[in-house]
Amino acid sequence: MSNFQLFGSIISTCLLGAASIASAAGETVQQDNTCFESRMGLSQVQQREIQPGVMNVKCSPTTGGVLFWGDPFDGTIPMGDMSVEADYSHEEAVVKPREPQIDRNKLLTICSMACHNGEYVPYPENKLARPLKMHKDIVPNSMQLKHGKGAIWCLDCHHAATRTKLIDHYGNEISFNQPQKLCGKCHGQVYRSWRNGIHGKRIGMWQKGGKKRWWTCTECHNPHDVEQGNRNSGFAQLIPEPAPVLPKGMSNADHERGHGEQAH
Amino acid sequence: MSKQKTKEKDANGATRRDFLRKAGTYTAASLSGAAMLLSDPKPAKATANVSWAEHFQKNYRLMTDEEKQEAVERLEKRYSEEFGKKVKVGSEPALEGVLFGYALNIQKCIGCRRCVKACVAENNQSRGEKQQIEWIRVLRMEKGKFSAEDRDVHGYPEDYGIQVGGNAYKPAGVVLEGQHYYEPDQVPEKDAFYLPMQCMQCEKPPCVKVCPVRTTYRDPDGIVVIDYNWCIGCRMCIGACPYWARRFNWGEPDLPAEEMNPDTHYLGNRPRMKGVVEKCTFCVQRTRKGRWTGCVEVCPVGARKLGNLLDPESDVRKVLASKKVFRLRADLNTYPKFFYFMD
Ligand code: SF4
Ligand code: SF4
Repeated sequence: MSNFQLFGSIISTCLLGAASIASAAGETVQQDNTCFESRMGLSQVQQREIQPGVMNVKCSPTTGGVLFWGDPFDGTIPMGDMSVEADYSHEEAVVKPREPQIDRNKLLTICSMACHNGEYVPYPENKLARPLKMHKDIVPNSMQLKHGKGAIWCLDCHHAATRTKLIDHYGNEISFNQPQKLCGKCHGQVYRSWRNGIHGKRIGMWQKGGKKRWWTCTECHNPHDVEQGNRNSGFAQLIPEPAPVLPKGMSNADHERGHGEQAH
Repeated sequence: MSKQKTKEKDANGATRRDFLRKAGTYTAASLSGAAMLLSDPKPAKATANVSWAEHFQKNYRLMTDEEKQEAVERLEKRYSEEFGKKVKVGSEPALEGVLFGYALNIQKCIGCRRCVKACVAENNQSRGEKQQIEWIRVLRMEKGKFSAEDRDVHGYPEDYGIQVGGNAYKPAGVVLEGQHYYEPDQVPEKDAFYLPMQCMQCEKPPCVKVCPVRTTYRDPDGIVVIDYNWCIGCRMCIGACPYWARRFNWGEPDLPAEEMNPDTHYLGNRPRMKGVVEKCTFCVQRTRKGRWTGCVEVCPVGARKLGNLLDPESDVRKVLASKKVFRLRADLNTYPKFFYFMD
C-alpha cells in the first residue's frame, strides 16, 4: 500500500467515525443492549451479566436510559490526584474514564496521529477563532461556539499539539478523564460545589468514608453546546419516561392542561 | 387503685382483634380494606400464599429479635418459591446516629421521570395498565404567559402559570396543581419547570398519627415505615398525608418474576399484598447498608442528594448551609426531611 493510499484510508476512517457519531447523537432507542447514563450517545454502557442473575445495569425499555447499577463501580478507575484539597481525600473516589467514550470510533487514536501531526494540519500560529472545515458534527459553527459567548475558542481548552489532551492555564496537559481540572479554571463556584458533592452526580455509598463514583463535567454537559438556549437548561434535552397510567374512567388528561381556561 | 391498674392493662394489652371488635362503632369505611383482604372469594396467588403464621404474627415493632428472624425467614421462603429465585428479606435496624435527610435541586430537575421508573424497578411496585403504582410523581409547572393586553384587562395573566393573578375584580389565578401527565417529545421544556414529590419522611408524620393499628411508625433514623402485615387497608394515612405520598394496592400487585428485585427489606421493598398501603422509604434496603437510594443514583442531572442530617459534613447539611432551601407545606408543622433547593 502506498503512502497515499494509507493516508486516504485514514482520512476516510476519520470521516466514517465522524458520521457515526452524528447518528449516535440522534439515536432514540436502545440498540444491541446499549444504554446511556446521562448523555445520550456519549455515555454508553453495554449491558452484561456481572454475576449469575445480576446485570451491570438495568435499562429503561422506552428510552434506553440506565435505571439501576448492579455494581456502581463497574468500569471505573481511581479519580487520581487533584491539585485542590477536596473532601474525598478521605474517601475512595472513582470515575469512569471518558477517553473510551470519545475514542469509541477511534477519533482520538487515529486523528491525533494522522491528522493533527503538525504536518497535514499545521499547528495553528495563534488562538484566533476561524471557521473549521472538519468536526462540524461536534461544532456546527466554530465562529459561534455555544460556550463562552464568543470569548473562548478550541485551543483555550484543547492542547494545540497533543490533541488527545486538554490544557490548563500553564499549558500543561490534562487528561480527558479529568475534565473538572479544565472546567474549574473558569467555573470556580460550580467546581467548589462539585467538590463538596452538592453539584453533579455521584453513586455508590452515601456514608462518610464510603466509596463513591463521581460523574465528571463532560458526563453530563456537552462542552461544545452548554449555553442554555431554548431548552432553559445546561443539560441536553432527553425523551422523558412515559406518563403515569390515567386513573380508571379517565380518557385523557385535558383537565390539567391550560388550567385557567376551565378551572379558574 | 386496682381499678386504675386494670384500665392501664387494658390500654397496653389491647390486641388488633380487640380493636376490630370495637371498631364497629368507628367507621365502616376504615374496615373495608381488612374485610376485602380476609373475605375475598377468589384470592389471587400472592394473597392466598400469605400463611396463617403471617396473618397472626405480632406487630413488627413489638417482635423480639428471634421473632423478627422467624418472620423474615418465613417470607424469604415464600418469596423465593413464588418468584423462582433466591430472595433476601433484610431486617437491618435503624443506623445509630443517623437521621436521613433528602435534598432535591428543582433548578436542575429536567422532568425526565427516570427517578419514577428507577424507583419502580428497585422497590417492586405493581406495574402494568391494570394497577400501576409509582411512589414518585413529577409535576410539571407552567410558567405564566404575560402580555400587555392581558395586563390591561386582568391585571395579571389569568389562564396559565403558578404566578398569582387576579385583581380587585377577579379571583387570584393561583394554579398549584401542576400537571402529572405531561408528555412532550423532549424535556426540559422552555416554558416549564418540574417538581418531583415523594414521601417526605416527616418528623411529625400525620400518617402515623392517624393509623388505627399503629402499623406505620417512625423509626429512629427518621424513616417512616410500614409493617404491611399489620396494615388493615383502612387508608386513613392516605387521607392524612398532605404530600400524596401513599398508594394503595386495590388489587393483586402485578410484579413479573423476572423483574422482581430480590434484595429486599421487611419494612421496605418486599413484595406487597392486595389491600395494603405502601410508599417511599428512602430505599431502606439500601440506605441502611450505606448505599444511596435508587432515585439519587439514577437522576441523570444529579438533582437528588441524600445524607445524614446529624453529620455537618454530609451532602444534605452542606446544601442546607449554602443553598436556598424550602420545604413543602411547612405551615402544616409536619417537619418534612425532604428539602427543595436552588443554586
Ligand atoms: S410525606 Fe406523607 S406518608 Fe410521608 S411521612 Fe409525611 S405524612 Fe407520612
Ligand atoms: S430523574 Fe432527576 S431530572 Fe429526572 S425527573 Fe427525577 S429528579 Fe428530575
